[in-house]
Amino acid sequence: MSAATIPTAPRAAGRWVLGVAALAALLAWPLLVEDEFIQRIGALVMLSALSASAWNLVGGYAGQISIGHVLFFGCGAYASLLGFTWFEWAPILGAPFGIATSLLLALIVGSPTLRLKGHYFSMATIALAELARIVVVNTPALGGAVGVSGPAMPRSVLDLSFISPLPYYYIFGSVLAVLLLFTWWMSRGRMGFYLRAIRGQERAARSLGVPAQRYKLFALLVSAAFTSLTGSLYAAMLGFVDPDSGLGILLSVKMVIAAALGGAGTLFGPLVGSAILVPLEEMTNAAFGGGGTGITYVVYGAIIVLISRFAPGGLAEIWTWLRARGTRRGG
Amino acid sequence: MADDAPLLEARDIVVAFGSFRAVDGASLAIRKGEIIGLIGPNGAGKSTFFNCLAGERQPASGSIMLRGRDVTRASPEDHALLGLARSWQVPAVFDDMSVHENVMVGAFLRHPHAAEAAAAADQVIDFTGLRPVARARSGSLGTPARKRLEIARALATEPEILLLDEALAGLTPTEVRAAIDLVRQIHARGITLVIVEHVMEVILSLAHRAVVFNQGKVIAQGAPRDVVQDPGVIEAYLGRSLSRKPPA
Ligand SMILES: Nc1ncnc2c1ncn2[C@@H]1O[C@H](COP(=O)(O)OP(=O)(O)OP(=O)(O)O)[C@@H](O)[C@H]1O
Ligand SMILES: [Mg+2]
Repeated sequence: MSAATIPTAPRAAGRWVLGVAALAALLAWPLLVEDEFIQRIGALVMLSALSASAWNLVGGYAGQISIGHVLFFGCGAYASLLGFTWFEWAPILGAPFGIATSLLLALIVGSPTLRLKGHYFSMATIALAELARIVVVNTPALGGAVGVSGPAMPRSVLDLSFISPLPYYYIFGSVLAVLLLFTWWMSRGRMGFYLRAIRGQERAARSLGVPAQRYKLFALLVSAAFTSLTGSLYAAMLGFVDPDSGLGILLSVKMVIAAALGGAGTLFGPLVGSAILVPLEEMTNAAFGGGGTGITYVVYGAIIVLISRFAPGGLAEIWTWLRARGTRRGG
Repeated sequence: MADDAPLLEARDIVVAFGSFRAVDGASLAIRKGEIIGLIGPNGAGKSTFFNCLAGERQPASGSIMLRGRDVTRASPEDHALLGLARSWQVPAVFDDMSVHENVMVGAFLRHPHAAEAAAAADQVIDFTGLRPVARARSGSLGTPARKRLEIARALATEPEILLLDEALAGLTPTEVRAAIDLVRQIHARGITLVIVEHVMEVILSLAHRAVVFNQGKVIAQGAPRDVVQDPGVIEAYLGRSLSRKPPA
């Protein structure tokens, strides 16, 4: 009820100003900060936001929780660096092949399980991701347990091999902008409504004519394609991937947590979640050395418990709640 | 399809849960423009039968024809596309969406573009009297508004036939009268209705034909006033007065 009494025009104008200011800040801050460590964290935030936003399409909007998204990330990363290893391609040229493989795997995992209710889809994604990791570990042609590398020295710009983290920040940011634009466009149209309806009450949605299976599968395919592209970009930046960094289950979990922390099924939730999680992780790693990964697990565990116990909608829910309180006081 | 052919026809429907037959050879033919009242004691199999009509459940045997097409094994979304809409006995609104957004989900079936769907939803919201709560989160609504939203959302799919499963249960007498009014207006728009209801007042004042279910079978049908005096029907209700709502 209170929502109807808020004048919308000044609020919309305020939103535009806020949006432009936020965009300007996102574009400018890395140039104002000299510290490469911090710039690098910025690039990693964008990378994490990219994969979490891709996950968000199927996990957030459609409510189909994948815990094996690293499978698609790995396809992208491996396709990039195998393209270089086998044919000396610039890593990014492998991206379309990573996407094609990801789409195929998404069809294989999604077609049978998205039809079923419950957690079959979640379990199938974990299983397939782990299977892929084990296959890669045991296949020397795919780098085995050692992994595969990119070009040692950049041969052209196309190799996307830069010393400064800044270009990566802007490349990842641009792809993120494309993904968020798509997500925003989708969320306002029929598909966005249908996905939210499926997440809310699938049976009721179907009785209103929503072809649930088709929409869930489509969300998964788009999500898998963008996750794969993220993997290819990651491989171009790092110039190296092995079964742990490209297909490890922890990466899947990170996507889920980043999205859930900021707010699953919201446009900016994954970006906000990544902006909190990635610096936290990099800082603990810097403070405790490589052994800090153990602490990372503890922090993630704590975050999962806190979100599911107190705010299943993530920070976005807390934000809405605070604003509702604010307008009630103000009005 | 011949003019006198039924709009929706179910023949010898059987649904079994293990060895228990919840629906045991029920048949029903519904002509265009009718209001059918489906009554019967708790557990008679009304909702289960209803779910078969809506494509939500596939019967073990029997057949269902909708507008001349065999839809026995068709999906719920195909039923919606063919012009059948339904409400749920336990309201199943999309809690995280506003009332207007809920109705839009239904409206998108015939209006793929958001602006048109929004306009269509607005009309349905005015028609169903949900305007005051149009922007409220539907999870915050009380039962009467939820039930009304269920009807609105179904109407937004622009159906030819609407199945209401206890859409009026749990309402106060004033709300029931308002809901009866709404059903009449829906019927006046040319929509055929099947209503499952325990409140006899509703059946007596709305239905053209009452169909009585008991133990998965149709045990009587005819004019509502005649049916409630049928000894077999009174027996089925175990002597309970038909004018009172049985315990839920
Ligand atoms: N999924 C199910 N599994 C097992 N038994 C079921 C299931 N659904 C319904 N039943 C049983 O089938 C019978 C018919 O149920 P149904 O819900 O169709 O009755 P109803 O006439 O709609 O009753 P009410 O007036 O209480 O809504 C009941 O005995 C019920 O317990
Ligand atoms: Mg029932």
